[in-house]
Amino acid sequence: MTAASAGFGAARARTRRSLLREGARRHPRALFGAVVGTLAVLVVLAVGFGTVSIAPETTVAIVLHRVLGLETGATWSAASETIVWDLRIPRVLTAAMVGAALAVAGATFQGLLRNPLADPYVLGTASGAALGAAVALLIPVRIVVVEFGLVHAFAFVGALIAITVVYRLSRLSAWSGMTSLLLTGYAVGSLLAAGLAMAMYLSGATLRQIFAFLLGGFEAATWPRLAIALPLVVIGTAGILWRARVLNGLMLGEEAAAHLGVDVRRERAILLALGSLVTAAAVAVSGLIGFVGLVVPHVVRLVVGPSARVVLPLSIVVGACLLVLADLGARLLGDIPVGVVSALVGAPFFLFLLRRAQSGYEL
Amino acid sequence: MTDFVATAPPPIVEFRSVTLAYGRREIVRSADLSIAPGERVALVGPNGAGKSTLLRALTGLLAPAAGQVEVDGHDVADFDRAALARRIAVVPQLAVLPFSARVEEIVALGRLPHEDPIRGPRPADRAAVAEAVDRVGLGRLLGRDARELSLGERQLVLVALAIAQSAPIVVLDEPTVHLDLRHQVEVMELLVDLNARDGTTVLAVLHDLNLAARYFPRVLVLADGRIAADGPPADVLTAARIRDVFGVDPRILWGAPWSAVPADR
Amino acid sequence: MPRPRPRPRPRPRLGSRTGSRLGALLAAVVLAAAAAGCATPQPTRITPQPGATGSALPPSTATPDPSPSPAFPVTLVDDEGTEVDIPAEPERIVSLTPATTEILFALGVGDRIVGRVEDITLFPPEAGPIPEVAGFGTVNVEAIVGLEPDLVIAGGNFFTPPDGIERLRSVGLTVLVVYAPDVDTVFADIELTGRAVGRGDEALALADAIRVEFDAVAAATADLERPRVFYELDATGAIYGPADESFLAEMIALAGGDPITTGSPDAFEIPLERLIEADPEVILLGDAAYGVAAEAVAARAGWNVMTAVRDGAIRPTEDVIITRPGPRLGEGLRSLALAIHPDLDLPAEGGG
Repeated sequence: MTAASAGFGAARARTRRSLLREGARRHPRALFGAVVGTLAVLVVLAVGFGTVSIAPETTVAIVLHRVLGLETGATWSAASETIVWDLRIPRVLTAAMVGAALAVAGATFQGLLRNPLADPYVLGTASGAALGAAVALLIPVRIVVVEFGLVHAFAFVGALIAITVVYRLSRLSAWSGMTSLLLTGYAVGSLLAAGLAMAMYLSGATLRQIFAFLLGGFEAATWPRLAIALPLVVIGTAGILWRARVLNGLMLGEEAAAHLGVDVRRERAILLALGSLVTAAAVAVSGLIGFVGLVVPHVVRLVVGPSARVVLPLSIVVGACLLVLADLGARLLGDIPVGVVSALVGAPFFLFLLRRAQSGYEL
Repeated sequence: MTDFVATAPPPIVEFRSVTLAYGRREIVRSADLSIAPGERVALVGPNGAGKSTLLRALTGLLAPAAGQVEVDGHDVADFDRAALARRIAVVPQLAVLPFSARVEEIVALGRLPHEDPIRGPRPADRAAVAEAVDRVGLGRLLGRDARELSLGERQLVLVALAIAQSAPIVVLDEPTVHLDLRHQVEVMELLVDLNARDGTTVLAVLHDLNLAARYFPRVLVLADGRIAADGPPADVLTAARIRDVFGVDPRILWGAPWSAVPADR
Repeated sequence: MPRPRPRPRPRPRLGSRTGSRLGALLAAVVLAAAAAGCATPQPTRITPQPGATGSALPPSTATPDPSPSPAFPVTLVDDEGTEVDIPAEPERIVSLTPATTEILFALGVGDRIVGRVEDITLFPPEAGPIPEVAGFGTVNVEAIVGLEPDLVIAGGNFFTPPDGIERLRSVGLTVLVVYAPDVDTVFADIELTGRAVGRGDEALALADAIRVEFDAVAAATADLERPRVFYELDATGAIYGPADESFLAEMIALAGGDPITTGSPDAFEIPLERLIEADPEVILLGDAAYGVAAEAVAARAGWNVMTAVRDGAIRPTEDVIITRPGPRLGEGLRSLALAIHPDLDLPAEGGG
């Protein structure tokens, strides 16, 4: 192969890739469908694999029996059924929900703050949730309502309190809205992180539990917890999807958005609230899982462009896929923290996409 | 038979004794201004005279400390944002993009005030975008990342955005600041075209007196927060006035219309 | 843009934004909780199948069971105060603490253990082949469920993560939690474990045997002077030693020493200054298994003022048998006493 034909081959390969990208961009619905299909496959795989090996037919039979009441003639032990129905399925579904929630929240905050480095935790939600969880773990009382323990409730409330404080404080500053939010978020977050460090220092034996919360994971996923968190995530996500138009309008800045008919102050508050609600619900059930909220929206944008109408729904399903895959990997690799796996899987993929991005992706 | 009395059409924009201030610092003092539909007006003045402030009041971003700002006979404050956006389209100086976006995606933003929140862009919206792109001559830039464009091309994209907004009033805030000669002329010609073909009312804040004089039949001079002069350029941009307002001693050459048309037209 | 911009004139709104936001939130949470209460599927409960899995062992003929009353079903109260019902003699046991593994083997039911916690200092060696289903601070719920145990013995005080214990119980497994903060509870735990597995009498005998050894040490050290003893757990970073009123402090006292402690029941670190001030006469190296030797200790900066260093009274110990709340505790106490009083006159091991 001569140098010239090699170059030509490379150019043809590039064209093929760019055609693929063009196709994806022009047919976002088809792409959405493809990703949803992938998600379904991943969910099935994730439920089928685990520490204990259960034959795929058995898994399917158990699910059919529990969901549809079908008898397939297959038999299985009570233990298998518990493992599939009470352990794996809630875990996988929770992973999907949390992945979706974090990705859509990340996309929202990135659009709202017009900052590509924003993630769902940037405005203090992470520190607030962590501090809330630490406080709950340090209180020598155990209250559980429908399996939603003090830890989860405090984490949820802590996240929301943090964002409310940040929002209120940012209104007092002279800087323009978004900059003020970011800076206040950083300051409050640091303060809360200091509080958390102090709590960890004083915690003694509980330290390991606090740390486990910080690392994040789905071991504690149960049906009741999923049932409580899911409506919050769905409501928040629906509200955000409804406002895709607003996020688009904010793309050129607050003044331009106002000129395009966006009520910036009101929408900023609403989007903040929705994004924080979704983030808080995710963090309450699964601790702090990073990376997803920051990178998934960028990956999606690299493929389909910046329009929130397309980025938001795609982020939801791509985020779900990523975390289901990461959780499966974490389980198979000996129960290592999910956050580690999602970064290990996602970061190289992101770097690969960056290299291949046709027009250099500038910040 | 009743005789119909010909009356002048109601002003599309009206400022009545408007005072604009930031805190206690007054920028614009008791300004009166009336623009009829279909006019093409240039707003000039030295830095800090209050031109951008005036625009802010017009687009509802700044509430007047005194007086009323009216669009189509209604107080600006009474419009909800989307309705106002359907009346007034604003072309800013430049906008910063946090994410890469294609030219057509930016222009499509102009349809936001018209878009259905759930169903999104409809064929009418897509047609308006295509027409705006065509009008501004951006066809060759379609598909390109907006951040790769030159400043002049970016400004044209923003103008296309405003055109896609299909608003009866187009307001521009110093649109030619970063532009080279060719693009300055392109933008100006576009405005003239918009005004002549569609009857769009155009209000442009300009720093370049030559452009103002050449392309606008009406010029407003804002100095020290007051409207120092209002009328055709020949009457308004006199040597005395320019010396007075801008502090520069000009040499005015009338009758030698300076015109530069892009060579590839 | 840093230039302050006055806000546009506020349009009348429908009441506080934040208020309505919080209200909507609250409503959502209440709705969700209600929905969860009504709609959650009940988790499957695993019903233990006595004798259905594993091999059914014939009753032992070596020691005829003297007690006439049936041992099962029984309700026991574990160390967390939870009432645990054990309907039948467990045949498949998961042991989540190393001490429990030792106790079960000592009681003769080691072959019933189907899963155990990871243990670096594994004892007895027969436990090696048993699959590991938990590590330090982690527990693999799925693996445990997959083993279909009819009894799980877990460690309290966060040894086994409380979330894990809850999870295991929520899917219907019988979980007994043991935690021994002092020596007396060790005996109680041995008896508790024995009753839980149907070896109540053997457990009593085991506990008695350990008590005999304790009594022997008590007798031998009764009239001896009690040296100040510092038991070093780790000194690679900060210095770690026994906390006040801890198990280790109690063992040292029972072994005829005067334990130097950290000063608080919750702290495990002791500042060097405090240690120097306390001036130990004997330093015991609980970290000897990690390669810490007496010469290295003597060479540490600032340690040479201590009596123990000057006298060369730095001795290694086998930390496992001293601190593990299991059947070898008597042996542990003996070795501790001999480490503190090297010339101690103790009768030979083995009584009872």
